[in-house]
Amino acid sequence: MLAMIKVNLQRRWGRTALTALGVAVGVTTIVAMLALTGGLSRSAGDLAKLGRADFGVFQGGLADLTASSLPASIVPRIEAVPGVAAAAPLQVVPHALAADSSILVFGAEAQSFLVKRLVLIAGRDAAGKELMVGSNAAARLRIKPGQTLVIDGRALRVAGIYRSGISLEDDGVVLPLALTQQLSQRPAEISMIAILIAPGYGELAVERSIERAVPGTLALGDPSEVARVDTNSRIINKAAIIIAVLALLLGAVVVINTMAMAVIERRREFGVLAAVGWSHARIARLILGESVAVSLVGTGVGLAVGALASVLLVHALAAATFVSPVITLWVIGRGLIVGFALGVLGSLFALWQVLRVPTLKALQRE
Amino acid sequence: MTRPLLQLLRSTRARRDQTARPGSATGAAVEVDRVSRSFGEIAALREVSLSVAPGELLVVTGRSGSGKSTLLNLISGLDQPSTGRVLIDGEAVWQGSHVVRARRELVGLVFQQHLLLSELTARANVEVPLLGAGVRSRERRRHALELLEEVGVSDRAEHVPSMMSGGERQRVAVARALANSPRLLLADEPTGSLDSVNATRIIELLVRLRDRRGMTVIIVSYDPVVGAHADHTVTLLDGRLDSGGRQPLEA
Repeated sequence: MLAMIKVNLQRRWGRTALTALGVAVGVTTIVAMLALTGGLSRSAGDLAKLGRADFGVFQGGLADLTASSLPASIVPRIEAVPGVAAAAPLQVVPHALAADSSILVFGAEAQSFLVKRLVLIAGRDAAGKELMVGSNAAARLRIKPGQTLVIDGRALRVAGIYRSGISLEDDGVVLPLALTQQLSQRPAEISMIAILIAPGYGELAVERSIERAVPGTLALGDPSEVARVDTNSRIINKAAIIIAVLALLLGAVVVINTMAMAVIERRREFGVLAAVGWSHARIARLILGESVAVSLVGTGVGLAVGALASVLLVHALAAATFVSPVITLWVIGRGLIVGFALGVLGSLFALWQVLRVPTLKALQRE
Repeated sequence: MTRPLLQLLRSTRARRDQTARPGSATGAAVEVDRVSRSFGEIAALREVSLSVAPGELLVVTGRSGSGKSTLLNLISGLDQPSTGRVLIDGEAVWQGSHVVRARRELVGLVFQQHLLLSELTARANVEVPLLGAGVRSRERRRHALELLEEVGVSDRAEHVPSMMSGGERQRVAVARALANSPRLLLADEPTGSLDSVNATRIIELLVRLRDRRGMTVIIVSYDPVVGAHADHTVTLLDGRLDSGGRQPLEA
């Protein structure tokens, strides 16, 4: 049976290749979109967990959490909320680094847990108007302690290189909060507040207490909740789903059309198979096997190209720092499931085309 | 529960091995009982009755449009009669749920235009019915090569149909029809697309195979050369058996 499937696919290799390409486009889109939206969710989650905080407090009602802006004056009020062990104000300044505008600049107080939790791997702690560079950003910028980086037109000395284990932090640069406020000309403003919960308190209860104590704020800790609240993430997720569905439909139409054409051309051949004693089930297995085989070839290509496309896409969107594609086994598994499903779906119409024709009529077809 | 299942599997395998062994088949008796077949207003066959004994070689002759192929299609189960019945060994095998099995184990078909699968080699074409019967790969290959040897085209085993002559293709088609050791071989104009030399060779091959295997053979042909090799001939005229009925071969 496998030999027959191979021969049948090879006999019209150009068509087989085009069909596989159609499937590959569908699977590529699925994998790229899943990897991208997975990366977006993780990045949004990372934002709420900066400095390994329990959760973050943002400005409420925003489409994009990175655009959050809070008055620094609310920090003492939040610190006073029962259950809050520490509240670290943070300013996120995008596109501030001249050498690589995609690297995020964080402003944090030197004494906050955010900075204290950074593990120094080279140089020393920052003092005054110095900065610290995350390990990934340092590797990308090829910068060492003692060198300078230009941020918003000001050359600042690199004191040390740190590693936190949170990709968003390791891909960024940390400055004193007062300096980022000065550079952004918003001295009393912060982007978010990272919160540590006191022992014995529940995260959700503390989040709700903060939102009640400071109306207009939004406390988020669960990465999936962050992705849900962040309207931009939601829009991108929905767009990704729509694009993926369209790509799947395209792939399905290509496979259905090709398989239907292939079996219509070979109707007499299927008549011969029935005449020599092949059961409908065995003929169906042959058609299904051909359809699934070509789909799996396309799926293999689609998985590889999809992984590459997701990386290229975040670079094309200049979001490589904030978002890194997440390609998990489940993403690959879903790609495989889609490819297999396209194969099965593509064979159904072809099966109906073959099995509805009586053997004698099939034999009489030219 | 396990033992009866094992016994069933063993008996099925034994039957399959027996079926696959060349020369093990014996002919089937065919009874065509007042069979008519109409296509709309057109009556292709009218009240045709005939009997074919096990091991007999019957040739059905008649002019184009006389109903020869329609009769063969009814005997092979590819078509169903409008009225009347076709019995093989006394059973209406073309009705009910055993049609596929009967087609696989009882009947071998040879078509006028050989109808070999163009992308497959001669050997692979002969293996196709065996694949349908679930015979294992090594056994399929061995049996296919034996059959190609038997019909005299073993040197063409790895050639595709386009690399063979018309006579060779038809021999491969005969080998394919014999693959599951049928008890009834049905051939529809097997010499129709061949020159006289090849036509004679194919008919002589069918006669030789019938003699060797003991199977029943029914051949539809307008070719008088074919009729000359038959045990009996019947002639169809406008969908009816000619009044002469069965005519034994005259020496």
